[in-house]
Amino acid sequence: MAIPFDQILIQTVNGLVNGMILALVASGLTLIFGIMDVVNFAHGDLVMLGAFVGATTIAATGSFWLAFLVAALVIAVFGAALQASTLRPLLGRDPLTTILATFGISLVLQKYALWQWGPSARKIQEPITGQFAMFYLEYPWYRVATAFFAGAIIGAFWLFLKYGRYGIWIRATMQDRIMASAMGIPVPLVHTAVFAIGAAMAAASGVLFGPLGGVTQTMGFDFTLRAFIVVVVGGMGNLGGSILAAIFISLLEAYASIIVSPSQAVIVSFMALILTLLFRPTGLFVPTPSSSGACWRCRRTS
Amino acid sequence: MSSDILIGYTGMVSFGHSVFFGIGMYGAAAALLTVRPPNLWLALLYGLVAAALVAVFVAYFSTRLRDIYFAITTLVFSQIFYVIIFTWTEVTGGENGLTFRQPPLAIPGVPSAAFTPVTLHWFVLGVVTLSYLLLRRVTQSPFGMVLQSIRENEPRTRAIGYHVERYKIVAVMLSGLVAGLAGVLYAIQNKFVAPDFVFFVVSGEVVIFNVMGGMGTLVGPVAGAAFFLLLREGLSRFWTEYYLIPVGIIFTLMVIWIPQGLLGFAKRRLNQ
Amino acid sequence: MLALENVHTYYGKSHILHGVSIEVRPGEVVGLLGRNGVGKSTTLKTIMGLVRPAEGRVAFEGRGIGGMAPHRLAHLGIAYVPEDRRIFRLLTVLENLRTGLDRPGLTDRRREELLQKVYGSFPVLRERRDQAGGTLSGGEQQMLAIARAMMLEPKIILLDEPTEGLMPRMVSQIRDIIQVLHRDGVAILLVEQNVPLTLEASSRVYIMEKGVVRHHAPAAELRANQAVIHQYLGV
Repeated sequence: MAIPFDQILIQTVNGLVNGMILALVASGLTLIFGIMDVVNFAHGDLVMLGAFVGATTIAATGSFWLAFLVAALVIAVFGAALQASTLRPLLGRDPLTTILATFGISLVLQKYALWQWGPSARKIQEPITGQFAMFYLEYPWYRVATAFFAGAIIGAFWLFLKYGRYGIWIRATMQDRIMASAMGIPVPLVHTAVFAIGAAMAAASGVLFGPLGGVTQTMGFDFTLRAFIVVVVGGMGNLGGSILAAIFISLLEAYASIIVSPSQAVIVSFMALILTLLFRPTGLFVPTPSSSGACWRCRRTS
Repeated sequence: MSSDILIGYTGMVSFGHSVFFGIGMYGAAAALLTVRPPNLWLALLYGLVAAALVAVFVAYFSTRLRDIYFAITTLVFSQIFYVIIFTWTEVTGGENGLTFRQPPLAIPGVPSAAFTPVTLHWFVLGVVTLSYLLLRRVTQSPFGMVLQSIRENEPRTRAIGYHVERYKIVAVMLSGLVAGLAGVLYAIQNKFVAPDFVFFVVSGEVVIFNVMGGMGTLVGPVAGAAFFLLLREGLSRFWTEYYLIPVGIIFTLMVIWIPQGLLGFAKRRLNQ
Repeated sequence: MLALENVHTYYGKSHILHGVSIEVRPGEVVGLLGRNGVGKSTTLKTIMGLVRPAEGRVAFEGRGIGGMAPHRLAHLGIAYVPEDRRIFRLLTVLENLRTGLDRPGLTDRRREELLQKVYGSFPVLRERRDQAGGTLSGGEQQMLAIARAMMLEPKIILLDEPTEGLMPRMVSQIRDIIQVLHRDGVAILLVEQNVPLTLEASSRVYIMEKGVVRHHAPAAELRANQAVIHQYLGV
C-alpha cells in the first residue's frame, strides 16, 4: 500500500506538535518521580485543572497569555500545597503507596472539576488564528506555535537546571537526597518546589492544549496514561529521555493513524511501552555502558 | 450489592483487574449468545477460561517487572483491551455493548428454572462462598506460603530456589480467575455487557476496596467494599453524585496514615 | 563544641549505639577507633541527623541538635564526608563543589576564594573540574568529597574512613589535608581503621567496642602505650 508523501509530512508535523505538549507534561512527571520517587497518578488532572483555570480566566479577562500565566501560577501554588500536605509524609515509602495516594487525589480532583465546572466541554479560543497552506489543508499557525512554546519552556527549564543557582540543588537532590541534605540543601523545600514546577508545567500544557482538544474534566486520565508511557519508555526520572520518548511516541501514533483510526493508533504506543519494558526496562533512551551502538550484541547478554 | 462486594473480592493490587472482570463478562456473553439454548455452566466456563487465558498473557509480561512498573503495565493492558473492545464493533457491539437473555438455573438432578431475584441472590452468594473457601485453602497451602514469602522478601525466596516468576504468574492467573468469575456473575445478573466495565474506573474501585479493607488479606477487600458502600450511602445523601470527593479524601488519608487498611488497623489495636 | 551524652541509636529494632558519650572541642582533631561494626559510622550519622537518636543528648555549641534535619546542621557548621564518599556521580567536579557553594548569603568573591583554596590543596580537582564525578578514581573521589565539605566553611568536619581502600600516596595526601584543616581551626572527628594515621593526626582518641566507648585517652599516651590498642583492636 502506497502512502502519499504529503500525508506522511502532515502527520510528522502533527506528531511533533503533540509530542512537544506531551513532553511538557511528561517532563514534570519524570522530574517528580526522579527526585522523590513519587509516581504522580494525578498529573493529568493537574493538566485538566490548569486548562479549566485558564478557560475561566479567559472568560473573565479575554487574554490568553494572561490566562496562561494565571493557570501556571495557581496550579503551582496548588501543587506545592498538595505536595506539602499529602506527599511529604510518604517520602521514603514504597512508590506503590504514592500511586495509591495520588490515585485518590486524582479521583478528588476529577469530581471537584465536575462539581465546579460542570460536565460540558469548554473550548479555549486560540490566540493565534492564522493558517498556512500545507498541501491540501490549511494548517493553523497556532499548532506550530504551541510546539515552539512548549519547547521554549522545556529549554528554559533545562538551562535553569544546568546553570541556575538553584538548578544544582534540584539535580543534586535527584541523585542523592541524603548527601544533598548533608550539603545544606533544604531537601523538603526542593521537593515542594519541584512538585510546584511540575504542576505549573502540566497546567501550561493544559492551557496550550485547550484550543486543540477542548477542556473536560476527564481529559486528565488520557494525559496521565500517555505521560506514564512516555516516562517509562524514556527511562523513569530521565528528563532528556522523556522528551525524546514523547516525540517518538507521538510520531509513532501519528504515523499509525494514517493506516488505522486514531483511537486504535493508541495501541501502537501501548505496544511500544510493553516492548520497552520487556527488552529495556530501564528505558529506551537511557545511555548505559553496554548499549553503545558499536556493541549491540552485549546488550542481549546483559 | 453482592456483586459489588464480588468486585472487591480480588486480592492483588493492580490497576488492571477490570480487564479480567470485563473479559469474564464478554466470555460469558459469548457463550450465552452463540450456544443455544443458553447454558449457565457453559457461560461460567467460557468466562473463566477467557479470563484465565488473558490473565496468563498479562501475567507473562507484567510479572517480570517490579512494583511500579507492574501497576503501570496492568493499567496499560486494561486500556488496550478497552480500546480493542470499544473499536471492534462487529464482535463486541462497541460502545453499545451486548444484550442477551439470562440462562436458566440448571443444577444437574434438579429441574431447571428461571432465575428469580431471590434464587439469583442465593446462587451468587453460593458461588462466592465456594470460591472464598477455595481461595482460603490455596493461601494456606504450601503454594500460598511461597506467595507470602515472595511478598515479604523476594530475593530470599528466589535464593531458596523457588521459581518466583512462575509463582507470580500463577498468582495473577488465580486472581484473574476470581475477577473473571465476578465478571461472569455480573453479566448474568444484568443480562448486559458494555465496554465501560472494562474501563479503568472499575479497577480503581477494586483498588479502593483493597486499600480501605487491608491489602493481602482475603476478607480485607470485602470489609473495604462494605466500608466504601457505607460511605457512599451516607455521603451521597448530602453530596449526591459528588460523594467521591470526600471518599477520595478519606481514601488518600488512609493510604498515608493507615496503609495496612481497616482490618490491619483493627488487628493492631486489638493486639495492643 | 560538639558533645554526645549517653546516645542510644537503633536501626529498626537492632540496637546499635548503647550510650555513646564523646566530646570535640573547637579546632581539635579527635580520632574514633574501633573494629568493623562497632557503631563508629552510626555515631557520625547520628550527629549528622541521618539517624535519629532514641535516647541521650547531642549538642553543638551548647544547643541540642538531636533530630534536627541534616541541612540545618550543615548551616550550623557541621560538614560530613561519608564512608562511601557519596559523590554526585552525574554532576561534574565543579558542580559537586557548587552544591556547597550555591547557598544564599555567599558573595561571589568569597565563592571564588573558597574554590581557589581547594584547587590549591587538590590541584587534580582543578584539572578535572568539568569531568563527571562518577568518572574519578577512588582517591580523587575522596578528595572531592573532602573538598565539597570544605565548601560549607564548616566549624567541624565528620570524616568517615577517608583512607579506606586508598594507595599510600593518597593516604599521605589525606594526612596533609587533615593538617591543613587543623591549622585553619576546623575541628575534625575522624573515624578510622588506620591506627598509625589516627594516632598521628589526632590529639585525643576514643576507642569503641559493641556500641559503647571503651577507652578514651590522649593520642600521645596511646602512641607510647600500644597495649591498649592491641587489647581493643587486635593489631
